Amino acid sequence: MIRHLPNRCRTTGPALLDRLRPGLAGLAFLVLAACTTVPGLPPSDDPRLAELPQAGAVEAVPFFAQADFYCGPAALAMTLAWSGLEVTQDDLVPVVYTPGRQGTLQSDILAGARRFERLALAVDTLPDLLAEVAAGHPVLVFQNLGLRSFPQWHYAVVTGYDRDARTVRLHSGRSENLTTALSTFARTWARGGNWAVVVLPPDRLPATADERAVLEAASALERAGAPAAAAAGYTAILGRWPTSLPGWIGLGNAAYAEGDHARAIAAFRAATEVHPTAAAAWQNLAFVLDEAGDTAAAVEARARAAALGVEAPSPADAP
Amino acid sequence: MQIFDRCRACLAQLAIALVLVTTLPMGLATAGLVSTDDVIVETFGPGEDRARVTAFLAREDVQAQFAALGVDPAEAAARVAALSDDEIAAIAGQLDQVPAGEGFLATTAIILGVILLVLVITDVAGITNVFTFIK
Repeated sequence: MIRHLPNRCRTTGPALLDRLRPGLAGLAFLVLAACTTVPGLPPSDDPRLAELPQAGAVEAVPFFAQADFYCGPAALAMTLAWSGLEVTQDDLVPVVYTPGRQGTLQSDILAGARRFERLALAVDTLPDLLAEVAAGHPVLVFQNLGLRSFPQWHYAVVTGYDRDARTVRLHSGRSENLTTALSTFARTWARGGNWAVVVLPPDRLPATADERAVLEAASALERAGAPAAAAAGYTAILGRWPTSLPGWIGLGNAAYAEGDHARAIAAFRAATEVHPTAAAAWQNLAFVLDEAGDTAAAVEARARAAALGVEAPSPADAP
Repeated sequence: MQIFDRCRACLAQLAIALVLVTTLPMGLATAGLVSTDDVIVETFGPGEDRARVTAFLAREDVQAQFAALGVDPAEAAARVAALSDDEIAAIAGQLDQVPAGEGFLATTAIILGVILLVLVITDVAGITNVFTFIK
């Protein structure tokens, strides 16, 4: 194996120390005994891990060796490129790098993924993280590679794991498919606050997220000004949860934002059929029908909303 | 006098914008439509239960903080727009404290030396993972 430079957001570390290893092991034991408390099982011993496939790997995750301080842009670029976009680390620097912090905030990663019209969903347990990898999704992780009191924050991308060997595989810093002990990864990840995201094409849902989480991820795309991507997300959500009221409303709102009244009306109508007592569905239906010039149908929809105790605004009332 | 007049026009516009912004209903992406976020909250209950009004005001605050940290103002606005109310509330007022993936912050050479040694030790023990050559 080619031995790279130490490969973090910023490079540090002499190679000499390699040789001191045996002697230091004993010292480490003393340090550990003196200053660590381990409540319960280490995260890498979570029993739910046993339910996962023995190994998982995501092939074809492009690798970008990071420049100093650019682990955030590099990690996001890798997941975006895997999702089918042509982006590089340099393209993402203005989008996710915050000069005053010489780094990338977690909110920068989320906002950045959405601005490239991708669903960004949090994953916060080790079994879920590995389940995403098993499902073929690379996972962008936030680690504290240092100590709690002396943090070294870092972004990397998990591309594989092996339960038998107890290892994970990471695109990290300047190393492609770096193999790391699962227990070590679990600790550095826990010290980063168990923060990870999957970045997916909007028509592809994560393996582990619940309905609300994916709805919020799709709605964030609406907010980020990507209604077509949001609509693709809602369509995928409705494929998995066909009666989701927010799913139908979201699909209608996204279609409306795209300027497609016909699709918006169809979605809101579907919402009223699946949830006849949902005032919001009648309200939005009435509004778009009015705008589309179908006054008779709008009056009827508005009456249904009124019967549910809600007065639906018409486009004439809008500012 | 002319300058004053021009300023007055600007101020008037600013005041109108302010009134509009502060009186608009919160969370409406499109005027007149019930937003998807509202329906999500109606369906599943409030999320992490942070006041949406606060988030609305916090957006400008966070945007200004990004700008103060050297992010281009237009870029800062785009970042803020892509975050949900909960996400904004979580970082408002803390942009200079929340962790940023950045790297090793060397304070002094002495501290660094000591820390380096500790990290090597904890690396060997598999608690940390700073040096790739230590497996």
